[in-house]
Amino acid sequence: MSDVAFSLDDRERAFRELYAAHFDAILGFALRRVDRPEDAGDVTADTFLVAWRRLAHAPQGPDLRPWLYGVARRVLANHRRGERRRTALGDRLRRELSTHVPDLSDDVVQRADVTDAMRRLSARDQEVLELHLWEGLESREIAEVLGLATAVVRPRLSRARSRLRELLGNDPSPPGHHHSDRPEPLTAELIRKER
Amino acid sequence: MIPKLTDDAISRLPLESGRAELLEEIMSTVAPERQTEPLANPASRRTRWVAPLAAAAVVAGLAGGTLWWQEHGPSQHHHLSAAASLGLADGQQVELDAPGWHVDSMGDGLRFRNGDAELEITTYPAKYYDSYVKDREYIEETPVKGQPIQVLGRPALMWAYSATDHTAIREIENGRWMELRASGVDEAGYLALLGDLRVVSSAEFEASLPDDFVTVAERPAAAQQIVDDIASVSGAGFPDGTALQLGAGEDLDRYQFGVQVVGQYACAWLEALDNAKTHQQTDQAAEAARVLGTSRQWPILKEMNSDGDYPEVVWDYADQVAAGTVPEGYREGLGC
Repeated sequence: MSDVAFSLDDRERAFRELYAAHFDAILGFALRRVDRPEDAGDVTADTFLVAWRRLAHAPQGPDLRPWLYGVARRVLANHRRGERRRTALGDRLRRELSTHVPDLSDDVVQRADVTDAMRRLSARDQEVLELHLWEGLESREIAEVLGLATAVVRPRLSRARSRLRELLGNDPSPPGHHHSDRPEPLTAELIRKER
Repeated sequence: MIPKLTDDAISRLPLESGRAELLEEIMSTVAPERQTEPLANPASRRTRWVAPLAAAAVVAGLAGGTLWWQEHGPSQHHHLSAAASLGLADGQQVELDAPGWHVDSMGDGLRFRNGDAELEITTYPAKYYDSYVKDREYIEETPVKGQPIQVLGRPALMWAYSATDHTAIREIENGRWMELRASGVDEAGYLALLGDLRVVSSAEFEASLPDDFVTVAERPAAAQQIVDDIASVSGAGFPDGTALQLGAGEDLDRYQFGVQVVGQYACAWLEALDNAKTHQQTDQAAEAARVLGTSRQWPILKEMNSDGDYPEVVWDYADQVAAGTVPEGYREGLGC
C-alpha cells in the first residue's frame, strides 16, 4: 500500500478489507494479554485507528499481520503504562466483550499450567513464546513484530522453548547440556487447537 | 485471568454490532493523510544480528488529541555498550562475587549460573519501567506491591514467582533499569546473591570471566582462529575483495562471538554466490557453492550447535545452495 496515492474510496475499501481480515486476530492478540475483556476492546480500537491513519505505511501481503501485531503491541504497552484510553471509539465493543467473554472457557490456545509456567520466564522469553504459541508466528514474523533481526529471534525462541519445557517438566535437557534444536513436539503439545 | 482464546473462538463471539460500529467510527475520523514522511527502512533494522537492548523502535501514542507516531529511527537501534545498557558509566560492569557462581552468557542480557541455579539481569529503557512494575504486580491473581529492597545501592522492588524464583526491578539509572531474576535459590539466597553483586571495572569483570568468553582484547586473535579453523575444512578464507570486519565490540560468550564471525563468513560467500549467479560467472558460483557446502564441518558451528539454532540457519541455507538456489532472505536471516 505504501507510496500509492489512494483516493478516499480506495482507502476506505482497503481499510474495510484489512479490518475484516484481521479483526479477530488483533482482538485475540489483545484478549490474550489483558486482564479485563473490555480493555481488549480499547487496544483493538486504538490499533485499528492507528492502522487507518497509517494505512499508507502498512505493508502488503503476509507482512501485514505482523505489522498489525507490532502496532497492537505498542498500543498495549501504552495501555499497561496506565495511560488513559486514547479514543472514545469502540464503546459498544467494550460492552459486548465485557458481557460475552467471561462465558467462554473452551477453545483456548494453551493449558493453564503452560500459562503459569510461561509467567516464570523472563519478560523477553515470554513475549517471543506468546507470539509463537498464541499467534502461531514463526521467527521471521516475530522478528517483524518486535523490530529485531530473525537471527536474533530464532535462538531466543529456541532457548525460551527449551526453558519452558524444563519448567513443565517434560523432555528435560540432560544436565549441563543445553541443546535447543532437537526435534520437539512443543507446539503440538501446547496448542490444543490449531488455528 | 481471561482464558487464552483462539482466534476461531473469538470469531464466534457475538460481537457483530460492536465490531461494525467500531469500523464506522474509525473511518469517520480524519481520513489518513498521504504518506509524507519517509518510511523507516526495515532492512536497516536487520543489519545487526545482536539483540539491541533498546526495545521497540516505534511507539504509538496520542498527544493533545492528535494521534502521533514517532519513528525513533536508527538511533534506537545502535548497539549499546554493556555499561550503557546497564545504566552504568563507561568502563563499568556488574560482577557477581559469590562462590560457585560464574557468568554463563552475555550479549543478550547478563546471566550468572551456579549449577541449576541462575541469576539473569535484563535491562530496559526507562520508558518501560512503569509498565513492567505494573506487570510484575500481577504475578498472582491478587496484585501485590513489590517488596522494597536495595540492589547495587539503589532502591528496587522484589516479587516472588515461587519459593525459589524471585525477581526485582531496580530503579532507573541513567535512562535504563535492570530486572534481576533468579531461580533455584530461596528468598534468603536471592537477597544474598543481590548483595553479592558489585559494580566493577571492565578489567575486573573480564578477569572474572570463564575461559570460554572472548574479551575485547581477545577478539582479533579469536576471530582469526575461527576463520582459520573454518578455512582448514572449507579450503578458503573470505572471498576475494572481502574481509572480516571486526569492530571494537565487547566481551561476548563464544556463541555470540561465533555468530559475529561465522555470520560474516557465510554472508560473504552467499553474496559471492548471489553476485556470481547474477553475472553468470559459473566458476565463481561453483566455488561459493563448494565452500558453503562444507558448512556442516565448520568447527565453530559444531561448537555453537549445543547452544542454539544459529548453525541450523546456516546449514539450511547451505542446503538450499546445494539444491541450486540462492536462499531467499539470507541477508535478513544471518544479519548480513
